Amino acid sequence: MRSFMPAAFRNASADALCMVAVLLLGALIVFFFGGAAMQRVVTYAAIMLTAVLGLQIFSGNSGIVSFGHAAFVGLGAYATGILTMPAALQRTALRDLPQFLAGCELSFFAALAVVIVLAIVIGLLTGMPLLRLSGSSASIATLAMLIIVYTLLVAGREVTRGSQPFYGVPREIGLWTAIGVASVALVAARLFRETAFGLATRAAANDERGAAAVGVDQRTSRLAAWVVGAVAAMAAGAMMAQFLGAFSPRDFYFDLGFTLLAMLIVGGMSSSLGAFAGVVVTIVVIEVVRRFEGGGEVLGLHLPVLFGLTQGVLAIAMILVIWRRPTGLFGERELNLLRRPGRQAATVPAAPPLHAERDRLAADHLSRRFAGVVAVDDVTLSFDTDSITGIIGPNGAGKTTLLNMLAGDVEPSAGGVSIGGSVRRASAFRFARSGVARTFQNIRVFPQMTVLENVVVAARSVEPDLASAEAAAMRELSRMGLEKFADQPAARLAYGQRRRLEVARALALKPRFLLLDEPAAGMNAVETAELVSILSAVRTERRIGVVLIEHDMRLVMNLCERIVVIDHGRVIADGTPAEVQKNPAVIAAYLGSRTARAKTGQETPANETPASETA
Amino acid sequence: MPKLYRLHRAALYAAVFGTTVAIVSTASAEEIIIGAATAQTGGLAPYDQPALAGLRMALDELNAKGGLAGKYTVKLIIKDTRSDTAQTATVAQELIDAGAKIMITPCDADPSISAGQLTQPLGIPTLTLCGSAPVLTAAVGDVMFGTYPADNVQATAVADFAVAEGKKKVFLLTSPDSTYTANLPEYFGKVFEKKGGAVVGRGTFTMGQPDFSAEITNIKALADQPDLIMTAAYEPDFPAFIQQLRGAGVTIPVYGADAIGTPTIKGLGKLVDGVVYTAAGYAEPGSKLEAFNAAFTKSAGHAPESTYEVNGYEIGLILDQAVKTAGSDDPKAIRDAIAGLKDFDGITGKITYAGTDRMPLRPVALMRYEGGEGKHIQTMIPAAADVPAP
Repeated sequence: MRSFMPAAFRNASADALCMVAVLLLGALIVFFFGGAAMQRVVTYAAIMLTAVLGLQIFSGNSGIVSFGHAAFVGLGAYATGILTMPAALQRTALRDLPQFLAGCELSFFAALAVVIVLAIVIGLLTGMPLLRLSGSSASIATLAMLIIVYTLLVAGREVTRGSQPFYGVPREIGLWTAIGVASVALVAARLFRETAFGLATRAAANDERGAAAVGVDQRTSRLAAWVVGAVAAMAAGAMMAQFLGAFSPRDFYFDLGFTLLAMLIVGGMSSSLGAFAGVVVTIVVIEVVRRFEGGGEVLGLHLPVLFGLTQGVLAIAMILVIWRRPTGLFGERELNLLRRPGRQAATVPAAPPLHAERDRLAADHLSRRFAGVVAVDDVTLSFDTDSITGIIGPNGAGKTTLLNMLAGDVEPSAGGVSIGGSVRRASAFRFARSGVARTFQNIRVFPQMTVLENVVVAARSVEPDLASAEAAAMRELSRMGLEKFADQPAARLAYGQRRRLEVARALALKPRFLLLDEPAAGMNAVETAELVSILSAVRTERRIGVVLIEHDMRLVMNLCERIVVIDHGRVIADGTPAEVQKNPAVIAAYLGSRTARAKTGQETPANETPASETA
Repeated sequence: MPKLYRLHRAALYAAVFGTTVAIVSTASAEEIIIGAATAQTGGLAPYDQPALAGLRMALDELNAKGGLAGKYTVKLIIKDTRSDTAQTATVAQELIDAGAKIMITPCDADPSISAGQLTQPLGIPTLTLCGSAPVLTAAVGDVMFGTYPADNVQATAVADFAVAEGKKKVFLLTSPDSTYTANLPEYFGKVFEKKGGAVVGRGTFTMGQPDFSAEITNIKALADQPDLIMTAAYEPDFPAFIQQLRGAGVTIPVYGADAIGTPTIKGLGKLVDGVVYTAAGYAEPGSKLEAFNAAFTKSAGHAPESTYEVNGYEIGLILDQAVKTAGSDDPKAIRDAIAGLKDFDGITGKITYAGTDRMPLRPVALMRYEGGEGKHIQTMIPAAADVPAP
């Protein structure tokens, strides 16, 4: 039975509702028992929470630390200030405001709606150039963005009053508005993780090449995370404007950027629970310690006046958190209320995927040079569906480079790769989506994601929605005997299980061709035998074309019906296992020419040659 | 506030935060609470702290004589704003909850406005320690008072002096990076032009920029050479600018305002000879200010670092006078009394709020560096009509 919502969303919604409930409970307590000052503290906390969640949506999923979210908060604040300021005040405070901006006098929620639209536009504009970069250079770019926005706010004197205080913003924001917006942000941040964009962004953060190989378009998904994060941050800015009433550009500069980051890092960057906990813990520490600063009597002890204690305690608390829990208080996991280990695995629908349509993957005069070294030299080969081909050759023969080019991961220096007759430009994620799946020599699973999520990422690029992607992923996992590990982080799997996970992930793409780079490397004999039986079963069930690189000759000879031998980047033999074993050029390549002559004389079967030792 | 409710709240604070402290005031009829939402830490602390020290000294002395108007003992509650605008609003709210009838806010416009927006609807008089942006009071409303000579008042004093000296043409050097550096020279320009002078050129700089050669080249290239350069630049920009200006052989006098009255600038020696600047007061021998400085040194254990101390002290005196005039501790009556203050005898001279935008007219001391020493030229109170609108 299909439930109304995919399991991941059900779990995420439960988590989000739980966090919202805690937030509401806190707000209710303060509303009934706290004074106006306490209410302001909680309102401020809710605004900061919204901003930190904006940061978490981007940084937590993409792994790129952003300093730029303070700039979004600032832009949101100024936009709201201009849109909601009473017209009479605007005439004195902003004398030179351009006509089209003047006299809007919107209510807070109308202004918020405009700010959100603006956030999407600004997010797209800033995101497109910014996210062409990756890793730390993207971080530095966000820092540059912060400086640019600050400079623009200071320079745009007609609109922002420059470095002077921007004042006259009505203060309509109360406790409940802030709590409401923060709750929406909380739900959005928790759910975003599980959307196609969220999954893809996290996968790319875990392993960029691995993600591309399962059809993840890294830039698009990262851009989505950036834009959604920008929307939350600018909504926080809208509230901040009405909360402060008066502000200047320096209120949205490095200090705010670092405060947001510090809160997120304390709580744990990679989960919305972390963002929530980080804000709550920081605010509670500040509020508690602040009360002792002014001195006084506590439990009969006389405390001296000690201003600055708050910052001191906060700094020590942060050092302790980072030292004892480098990933933050809740860095690794969400609440996962509906996903406890030991829970009954979801029922697996039995329907197998359809047989792959007939197709052909072809390499046409393919060459690849690396700085003068010719790795692959004018190779022309084609592979059909419903076949298993082994590519063998000595170390450094160019097998992996050939496979990378067939998978669209490496651009050929000359020649081209065609799928079903049409030549494709090299692009790993586009190849993956067009039916060419692959695994890697050094396993590239996504260690911080669960086993199920690893496969769902792939399934999501071919399935119409998350629910069917989940079903397909569970099916592939049980095919590989991994269903009982579904909710574990992939990092906890044993080596052989990780290899199988990578195969399951590739199969979830419903490929017509499956390229395996040394699938049995590092496996013991039992595991290898298991793999061989799984691969041949998959091949008969789905009639896909399997191409594998392998050093284990027993496996190759047992499994493959066609063997291509490559040496020095060239194809030196291509035929059935029996033909290839007798080919003198092959034996020469593997064992040297003198042994080759001796061996061909004795007619020794090649699967008993010690060639597998080269693995 | 009902007593039971208050107890309840205190218990909740304790329960939620595991603390046993709660600020619950039990103001007696003879007690008046003054809330100080000021920066004890952070970037504003160097300004707020001396001012607050002066205010505390005044309040201690007043309390020894029975309190404000000899009747209302002052309870000063100080809370740290950490130089943060949002935190200022939060602690201001706490001080209001604690029963503050007078609010003291930091030496900066943003946090003062933010706190003022909370006190405005309640009619609680709010005084910024040494915030000098003239727009500050208008941005909040009738409860907000400046105490320090406002930027436009300082600029008017310097302009009056320049005109009296016979200066005709000025070059204005501004920086958009802060209110002070952006607007003060422009205020000067307005007064200067009104009194017959001319602005012959304008230049801008970025705060913290090490190289002023572009601006200096512009000044040298002016067809109509100025006989004065006016700027509100301070450290580190002012030393860099004047060093490079004199190095380029330009001998045009440079005037500034109070921010260059510092030991560092004085230490530049001959380089700053002839530079005119302002101060909130000058301790002439036998003056009240000299007596204050001595008294402050005795009570605090160190000499005043600046004129912020005496400014803070004067806030205490102003409040005392206002409560006397009001004859009660009602915030609205106190506010009206402050707003109506005219020629009040402070330490540095006469202070007037009546007829102003609640930024006081008060004495500005004009100083000039000569041979590595700040020499007093004159102390003056600009005419209200001359002060340009913010």
